[in-house]
Amino acid sequence: MTGSLQDKASLLEVDGLSVEYRLNGLSLRAIDDVSFALRAGEAIGLVGESGSGKTTTAMAIAGLLSPNARVSSGEVRYRGERLPIDDDAAMRPHRWSETSVVFQGAMNALNPVHRIIKQIAEPCRLKLGMSRGGATARARELLELVGIPADRGFAYPHELSGGMRQRVMIAMALACRPSIVIGDEPTTALDVIIQAQILKLLGELRSQLNLAVILITHDLSVVAEACDRVMIMYAGRIVEDGTVAEIFAQPKHPYTKLLIDSIPNPANGKKMIRPIPGDPPNLVNRPSGCAFHPRCPSAIGICATEFPSLDEFGQGRVACHLHRSSQEDKVAAHA
Amino acid sequence: MSESTVQSLSRGRTRALKNFLRQFLGHGGAQLGLLCLVLFLVMAAVPNILVGPLQTAINATGDFLASPSSQHLLGTDEVGRDVLNLVVHGARISLTIALLATVISLIVGTTVGMTAGYFGRWVDDWLMRLTDFFFVMPSFVLALVITPVVLEVMGRGGEILGFRPSLFVIIVVIGMTSWAFVARIVRSQTLSLRERTFIDRARVAGSSNLSIMVRHILPNLVPQIAANGALVVAGAIYVETSLSFLGLGDPLQPSWGTLLSLAQSAGAASAGAWWYLGAPGLCVLTVSLSFVLIGNALDDTFNPRRRVIP
Amino acid sequence: MTHRIGQILIRAIVTLLMVAILNFILFRIVPGDPARLLLAGARTAVTAKQIEAQRQRWGLDRPLIPDQVVDYLSATLHGDLGFSFKFRGRYVADLILERLPATIVLVGLAQFIAILCGVVLGLYAGWRRGGAIDQIATGASLALYSTPSFWVGMLLVVVFSTALGWLPGYGVYSPGATIGFFDGLLDHLRHLALPVAAVALGLIGQYVVVARAAMSDVVTEDYMVTARAKGLTNGQMLVRHAFRNAMLPVVTLVTLNLGYVVAGAITVEAVFAWPGIGGLTVEALNARDYPVLQGIFLLLGASIVIANLMADLAYGLLDPRVRK
Repeated sequence: MTGSLQDKASLLEVDGLSVEYRLNGLSLRAIDDVSFALRAGEAIGLVGESGSGKTTTAMAIAGLLSPNARVSSGEVRYRGERLPIDDDAAMRPHRWSETSVVFQGAMNALNPVHRIIKQIAEPCRLKLGMSRGGATARARELLELVGIPADRGFAYPHELSGGMRQRVMIAMALACRPSIVIGDEPTTALDVIIQAQILKLLGELRSQLNLAVILITHDLSVVAEACDRVMIMYAGRIVEDGTVAEIFAQPKHPYTKLLIDSIPNPANGKKMIRPIPGDPPNLVNRPSGCAFHPRCPSAIGICATEFPSLDEFGQGRVACHLHRSSQEDKVAAHA
Repeated sequence: MSESTVQSLSRGRTRALKNFLRQFLGHGGAQLGLLCLVLFLVMAAVPNILVGPLQTAINATGDFLASPSSQHLLGTDEVGRDVLNLVVHGARISLTIALLATVISLIVGTTVGMTAGYFGRWVDDWLMRLTDFFFVMPSFVLALVITPVVLEVMGRGGEILGFRPSLFVIIVVIGMTSWAFVARIVRSQTLSLRERTFIDRARVAGSSNLSIMVRHILPNLVPQIAANGALVVAGAIYVETSLSFLGLGDPLQPSWGTLLSLAQSAGAASAGAWWYLGAPGLCVLTVSLSFVLIGNALDDTFNPRRRVIP
Repeated sequence: MTHRIGQILIRAIVTLLMVAILNFILFRIVPGDPARLLLAGARTAVTAKQIEAQRQRWGLDRPLIPDQVVDYLSATLHGDLGFSFKFRGRYVADLILERLPATIVLVGLAQFIAILCGVVLGLYAGWRRGGAIDQIATGASLALYSTPSFWVGMLLVVVFSTALGWLPGYGVYSPGATIGFFDGLLDHLRHLALPVAAVALGLIGQYVVVARAAMSDVVTEDYMVTARAKGLTNGQMLVRHAFRNAMLPVVTLVTLNLGYVVAGAITVEAVFAWPGIGGLTVEALNARDYPVLQGIFLLLGASIVIANLMADLAYGLLDPRVRK
């Protein structure tokens, strides 16, 4: 199944990755058998509600799992080489120089007591071994690259607007010339206009530097604007994966359909966000069978008992009994 | 409100209370604190049953500064009184002072904080300026200069509400000087409650300011007041012990601080009479630590992310 | 920035003013004619004429508000705190200044040691939260935090002075001996050891608690995740990102605490017969020497206000967010 994903052009391969958190003696599976590949220069959107496992997936890739997390199976490969994602010290040299992260809410992600230029120059000095002067010059370059006058670098984070701080985060993420940038809800706290500007900047930098981008968001409209491919996650699993065009035109998983329907779209008269009925799944008491079945409008008998596997379907993949059965029907019809 | 909603409300409240108790009692610190506290409360409640009436220099039975023995489990003091007897009776004095002072402090602090937060504007400005003063000046420092003057005015004889005047004065002075910390917390909590819709609803329904404060705001402040109240008790014990140690206590109703003061002037430390100064000090430490642990556990339960003392 | 400093200064002055006014009120409610009280410290027998002179000097024949208050405040401002009752005929201000150095040495040394040990231990405990050192340090600190320092002092005397005989349990110098400079200094340090330890231990308890809380807050901040993502080592994360942020609340609290330290030292001085402000306080309390008590109150008030000023200014220097 993963054969076609493991082609040599892949920059990053996530293969059967499962991560558990230990919490008060309980073991909670945050992500379960997640597999996908990312090619150089590609932009993938990782979409889901909170608790869907999208952030855990991203943090595992960046080697930033918290101490109570454990990789129970699977691995992550960068340029074909296995990353030691469950070993904090061994992971250190890989961080930031291969994969960097633009965190959400840049107010707290930036250290309040240091000037921003120092924070951008820091990885250049510590990871690339540049001199103080060299690192500062590089930081100035990076600031200009993200559209901030280099002299603003002497400001402290609290003196900048939210959009500016997000630009600083992006400049910082580029410091060690990584080939993958993970955006962890990078535009969530911003207003629509600034959000569009930041997404445009990310797009420009992506083509200019041939960056691969993983964009984590709960907002499908952000993905539509900035990504090539989108993966929908639910309760720790990928439930649908496909190109943006495909998924928006023909969503297959009922959850994806509901997500797309919930996007407010003034053009067709939907002004309010329509929430998906029911509660997000609880990691302690995961529903049997397909985790989405209690909220699914088109659930059938098998959904409550049997787990749907993530099968290739057209250009992408989907994990849903409705589609598997139709596929099997087709197979049966052919035979 | 229909009967069923009243019922479901009260059932919800019972469940919340059960939840709270389970969480709170599951806290290791709370268990230890409560256990010690119960022990001392029993001592304070029935000292006569446990160790007989308070011994004085006249009815003292032991030798002078005798070390612990089967007859005097905690030894004797410089006039032959049994230290265990003194310490158990001291529990009543020390705890009564600390708890009453805390009640005063909580009443004043809550009133000031709630009034400032609810009315805002100039009321807030002036009340907070007053609060700032009491916040900055330690209760002990204020009490140190106020207590002797007030005592002088009132005289040391007689009794007020069953207390010797010096104890009464100490209770009131500690209570009146240690409320600022409570007032600040209550004020900020009131400020945020004031903006909630249920307050607006009550206002629209024509409730008076006083009734909104007492019936709608106060109940929501209880968690904060309780958690900080425990810390106020610990502070009050500290101040009372220090003041009594400096000789502001009453030798006829000796608190643990007064006992330490007597031990000091009897030269217990240089005589090596560790039991005499050890027992009351250990009591102060245990009770004050218990309240700190309980306050900490309460705060943990009500407010899991932030803690007064981690 | 200037606006902030202005506000801080105004607050400091208002607090001091309130201390002085409280002093004034207390002085007036003590039973007896204030003039008689003022003269109680005079060396000679008091005549009616003298009382009259005092009444005029303090404006007691004029209205209480504002004349008497203003007079009192202006005298206080000029350092005129009146006469002591007990030390007949001596100025309160002189008495206090005489006793101040001993307290400054005691409190200064204790504060220095407590900051060094307590803050370092607390920061470390917060950084390695849940570790063995954290659990021991936190437990011990909570116990020390709940213990009156003077009692710790008494225990120290029992153990190190009475039982073991290693260190002197009271006083500043060994009496009688005429010894050289270095021996004298050593003797003084030996006398300082126990009282300093008593004050410092209580403070260490507080500072461990404060520094640990500050550090464990910082450890969960988003910028620490950023630092980790940047590939910094644990040491680099601690030194470059955690330390300074954790020090913000610590510096404020330690500086603010200065007033409390002086107050706490009063009882410790009483244990060790230390001839500082604490010793003076006990003497004044026993003799009901109100002018001296009020002078001490004013001194404590002033030191607390100055500590507050310093805390505010230090915070401004350390945290760019409050600099404007």
